[in-house]
Amino acid sequence: MSIQIIKKGLSDSIQDNGRYGYQHLGIQPNGCMDIFSAWVGNYILQNNLNTPVIELHFPSSRFQFDIDYIICITGANFVPVINEKSVELYTPIHLKQNDILSMLQPIEGRTAYIAIQGTLNDTQWLNSYAYAGKRLEKGQILDFKATHSQSIIKQEHYNHLIEKIHAHVFDHQNPIRFIPGPAWKDLDQNAAATLLELPFTISPQANRMGFHLNGPKLNLSIPNAYLSSAVTRGSLQLLPNGNIIVLMADHQTIGGYANLGQIILVDLPRFAQMKAGQPFHFSSTTLENAHQLYWNLYESFQH
Amino acid sequence: MNTQIDNWKIYALGDHAIVFALDEKVDAIIINKIKSLHHFILSKKIAGIIDCIPSYHTLTLVYDATKIFTSANHTEAQLLSFVNKIMNEAKYAQTSFLKNHSTLTKIPVCYESDYALDIQNISIQKNISIQEIIKMHTAKIYEVYSIGFLPGFAYMGIVDEPIQMPRHEKPRAQVLAGSVGIAGVQTGIYPSNSPGGWQIIGRTPLTIFDPNPEVLAKFKVGDQIQFYAITKSEFEKLNEYKD
Repeated sequence: MSIQIIKKGLSDSIQDNGRYGYQHLGIQPNGCMDIFSAWVGNYILQNNLNTPVIELHFPSSRFQFDIDYIICITGANFVPVINEKSVELYTPIHLKQNDILSMLQPIEGRTAYIAIQGTLNDTQWLNSYAYAGKRLEKGQILDFKATHSQSIIKQEHYNHLIEKIHAHVFDHQNPIRFIPGPAWKDLDQNAAATLLELPFTISPQANRMGFHLNGPKLNLSIPNAYLSSAVTRGSLQLLPNGNIIVLMADHQTIGGYANLGQIILVDLPRFAQMKAGQPFHFSSTTLENAHQLYWNLYESFQH
Repeated sequence: MNTQIDNWKIYALGDHAIVFALDEKVDAIIINKIKSLHHFILSKKIAGIIDCIPSYHTLTLVYDATKIFTSANHTEAQLLSFVNKIMNEAKYAQTSFLKNHSTLTKIPVCYESDYALDIQNISIQKNISIQEIIKMHTAKIYEVYSIGFLPGFAYMGIVDEPIQMPRHEKPRAQVLAGSVGIAGVQTGIYPSNSPGGWQIIGRTPLTIFDPNPEVLAKFKVGDQIQFYAITKSEFEKLNEYKD
């Protein structure tokens, strides 16, 4: 019972909710870049939401399945095909032995997920299957144990969830919301207004550790020299050259650059799905608003 | 959320972390207070606190909002009362936590030229003999102020002024695990092979980070470390690396 990687992708990996509880030792959390899309796949297949999924970037790996798995592809649309016949996203796919799954073309988004009904037979490290820097290699075999005992839930039960999550995650019009951080007050007079008014784009220099941004250069009114302290995913770090890097799932645990703010949890999957060059705006929001937005989406998965 | 309790500034870091901060300086007293609060909060085993990260003058708690709050309403007020409760209890508990001094860990380092890639250059630039550099580096008891960059990488200080050196402008493509370096007021040991810009003055034969869940990092924030010099043949006898 296994899934074999028959062609290596650019940067594909096994991910889950990530690993918390070890950042004081410098061990990064890792986990899915777009956790909502990953959860949708697991939800449709009635897996536990923390079940490991395969995270794909484009060009993606090609997979061969040696038994009749049930999978669900969510997140970015890379035009998935099974044995060269196109298949739908956000729907359970019943595979047959030796089926081959490939991704043809990146139409929408940056990160796709394959959820597999069952469990991964592999050793966890510190309660997570996600490892920083570990990528799927050609010839690698993923030992997924298929469990078909669960009934597949009816489509009408999750259609609303799919619509809600998809509309949110692929909303590229509304601003990316953040809560101002400790160095926000250190921006020089015009810089704060500039950050809130002018558009930014994600540079091609973007990976699971962080996304560099292109946009107006920002200055501090004091030297950019802070004692290192903890950062989170979504931290907006102002580099000495005036550009921002946004820390993502494989971020280091501490950082010493000016911390201008943190993108709110609910907008991180949206941000993670934005392609390089696509213009977007930032807007600042409140803690209570951020919690309410997150709570609302989180609850959608609890029924 | 933004509040002050005694000398502590407490503020939200985004929507899933809060920071407890003292004065922003590299200071042994401050790191001990950070460590005490860290230990106190760990001892409380609070549901929904998923990470607790000390570093220099801050302690950052990462939380799961769906577990720490009873509802999504008035979360700012809920967070504030949570913080007040912690600080109140900590005030009573703190004296006993402060007495909990760390033991001194002694770390062997070979400062001979094979492992001390930059020591000669430091000696020339700073006009100080290699023996003097080793003497200064081994005489001092260092505190661990922060852990990061790599799993288990401990930032220790404070390095004596005559041997403080800035990072290399162009980092080395590979620094071997165990290498001991200096960067400004800090000294530290690379726990794994990695690119790195610190000035390398020696190498320890001991494993600093072991992925075995029972072992992991050799140091924690607030630990006290002292280095001692060993010869190349002693290094080879103790060597836990396979390169």
